[in-house]
Amino acid sequence: MTAVEPKTVPGEVTMFQVASPHLEAVVRDLAPALRLADMFASDGDATTLRLVWANDTAGQAGYVITETPLENGVYASVSDIAPAAFVEECEIYEQFGIRPATGKSLNRVMLPPHADLPTLGHKPQAEPEEAHAQHTVGGQAFEFPFGPVRQVGVESLYYGLVTSGEEVVDLYLFTWHKHRGLEWRLQGKTPEQALFLAERTEGLSAVALGWALAAAAEAATGTWVPEAAERTRAVALELERLYNHAAAMAALCQSTGLTVGQSAAEIALERLLRLNARAFGHRYLFGVVAAGGVSRAPDADGIRKILPGAYGEFKRASEALLGTNSFLDRLEATGVLTTGQAKDLGLVGPVARASGLATDARRVPGGPYGDETAIAAATAGDVLARFTVMLAEAAESVRLIGDFLDSETGSGAGAGIAELPRTSGTGLGWAESPRGEALAWVELGRDGRITRARLRPASARNWRGFDDACRSQNVFTDIPIIEASFWLTVAGMAR
Amino acid sequence: MTAEELRDTIARQFGRSLHIRTLDTGSCAVCEQEIRLLSAPHYDLNRLGFFFTPAPRHADLLLVTGPMIRAFAVAARKTYDAMPGPKIVVATGACALGGVYPDDPFTHGTVDAVLPVDVWIPGCPPSPLALLHGLGVAVGRLAEKVRDLPFTEEHYPERTRGGS
Amino acid sequence: MTLWFIRGLLRGVVTTRYPVRPDASAASLPTPPAFRPQALTRPTADRLVGICPSGALRRDGSVLVYDVGRCTACGRCAAEAPHAVTGSGEFELATTDRSTLIKEIPVREEAR
Repeated sequence: MTAVEPKTVPGEVTMFQVASPHLEAVVRDLAPALRLADMFASDGDATTLRLVWANDTAGQAGYVITETPLENGVYASVSDIAPAAFVEECEIYEQFGIRPATGKSLNRVMLPPHADLPTLGHKPQAEPEEAHAQHTVGGQAFEFPFGPVRQVGVESLYYGLVTSGEEVVDLYLFTWHKHRGLEWRLQGKTPEQALFLAERTEGLSAVALGWALAAAAEAATGTWVPEAAERTRAVALELERLYNHAAAMAALCQSTGLTVGQSAAEIALERLLRLNARAFGHRYLFGVVAAGGVSRAPDADGIRKILPGAYGEFKRASEALLGTNSFLDRLEATGVLTTGQAKDLGLVGPVARASGLATDARRVPGGPYGDETAIAAATAGDVLARFTVMLAEAAESVRLIGDFLDSETGSGAGAGIAELPRTSGTGLGWAESPRGEALAWVELGRDGRITRARLRPASARNWRGFDDACRSQNVFTDIPIIEASFWLTVAGMAR
Repeated sequence: MTAEELRDTIARQFGRSLHIRTLDTGSCAVCEQEIRLLSAPHYDLNRLGFFFTPAPRHADLLLVTGPMIRAFAVAARKTYDAMPGPKIVVATGACALGGVYPDDPFTHGTVDAVLPVDVWIPGCPPSPLALLHGLGVAVGRLAEKVRDLPFTEEHYPERTRGGS
Repeated sequence: MTLWFIRGLLRGVVTTRYPVRPDASAASLPTPPAFRPQALTRPTADRLVGICPSGALRRDGSVLVYDVGRCTACGRCAAEAPHAVTGSGEFELATTDRSTLIKEIPVREEAR
């Protein structure tokens, strides 16, 4: 087909086959109206390129997947039309050895240099060119690599910092030190087995990633999850959001040297983690999501008793911070991302919402979230905007948890698993992690085992905005502050 | 040096003031969150004489998470070598002890494939309490228990069936 | 400035007394399993080995070799065979000798 209507069916995933010569035209049609959420390839009779497009408009939210079997190992460059796709093009080159037809130079994303690691398809014939833009500021700029071993208690991350002294001219990230080959490992596993690793792709988003992968397998096998189990998943997801936002608040205080605020936020965080252990048996909510449902019901009484106090700590800390001018001064106008930048890069989550984009996977109908779920928004796009968005989301999470536990249909949040039939199929799953939309896509073989799994945590999408945010008139000491406001993980990017 | 003498030396050198450097060899980020909470008000490792330090030159103990991704091994070794002796290496979390990821092209699977580990702390993630116990064992202030635990049901008759 | 200080004092100290005193919050943590040898038949043991996602279990003849170090306390083995697996409640598992984390649980041979 030559033209694809940029229309989505709310709550559903529409699929179109697009022949390779028509790919460019289709991308041009869809890019203005829809957000390019992900792009990945898979091997089979032919290497197939799939683009996942998302509609973020309220009332119409849904997804479109275009499938293009490739000929001759090339494809029209998607990133020339939708810049959001550049990182995925680099990834596809590393894993499948195929590149955009324009022959543009690509960067190293996941594979370490000179390593002979298993890939999902044919290995590339040559290493990526790794061209970064030339930089000078008044004729002077120097570049130094930083990491991968960094401050105490943070993940390993290696980045190239281009600076003219104090000002950040450019910043590019290398996350290949933490590439564990998750998508490669999931091949051959059943959805039940895959959940164990999917949760540990990015443990701080265990519920979101587990939910996305389980939902993908459920879609692939046509399995309906009991409603009470869906509400349990949502309770767990909101608890996950709460503790992550508390941790982000603590990290913001640490990055600005405000130890009193950090301690206050950490008290809230610890109480929320203990709430998780009481509610679901694990401080980080591992093992709650199961293929076809959930492994257990929450301790609803425990949540009702403990949540108000834990959230009270969170609220007290946040209110004290919002009244501390020396703290707010560090956050205002720091790490600015404009709406245009956020849109071009296809960012998700609080980062996108703070830059004026109304995107939230919870507003896709068909799940346990209703239309009244409030989506926080701001427009300044700086660290302060991201912080206020997180605070608003935390308040909404508390309200949602109360709702889910006392559902009118009587069963509230329960346990229950629908058994997945062992059949072939493909499916897309999604969940709004604390960092943004997490996507997963699976292809199951006839024995019900995974032949290709695609994991796209929000971190895999949002790190590309970090470079831009750091570049906008910031200095070295702002970098940890901006990193805390993004609250991503390296593990989620590197997988 | 006998085991007794070694334990006394460790207790004397590190028992009252220990500086800890953290090292992530490929974790899922949750172990790091539990480690960060050690300095939070609920746990406050400083009251036990433990301190975090960002400088390997200043560190006595290396607290290592993750399954030792092969691409990271050189950086891990450099961090260890940058620490002056005497030093202790603590591997923490199931990934670091050989679980979750096996020995394969991506990962060594265990930290002790690359670094000489002195103390192992299981968990996924090890809670801050488990980490405090592990640090206490590392400096000879707390007794090890697991050697004498058989992990059979006769030892835990009062626990209900069906899981933790 | 004095207000938060006074408020803090009034709300009390949250710091744990661990390790001098036990901490009640440990009771809600997931812990590695303990096994019931009488219920651990060879087929049950093999099922448990197959279901462990972390490689903590393997069978060597009539012994279930259980590496507590590799266990993530995910609970899959307990859900698979609740009559043979229970929680240990142990979280103080640190050791200076890796081999002390490897337990050998006898597998019950079927009566002939």
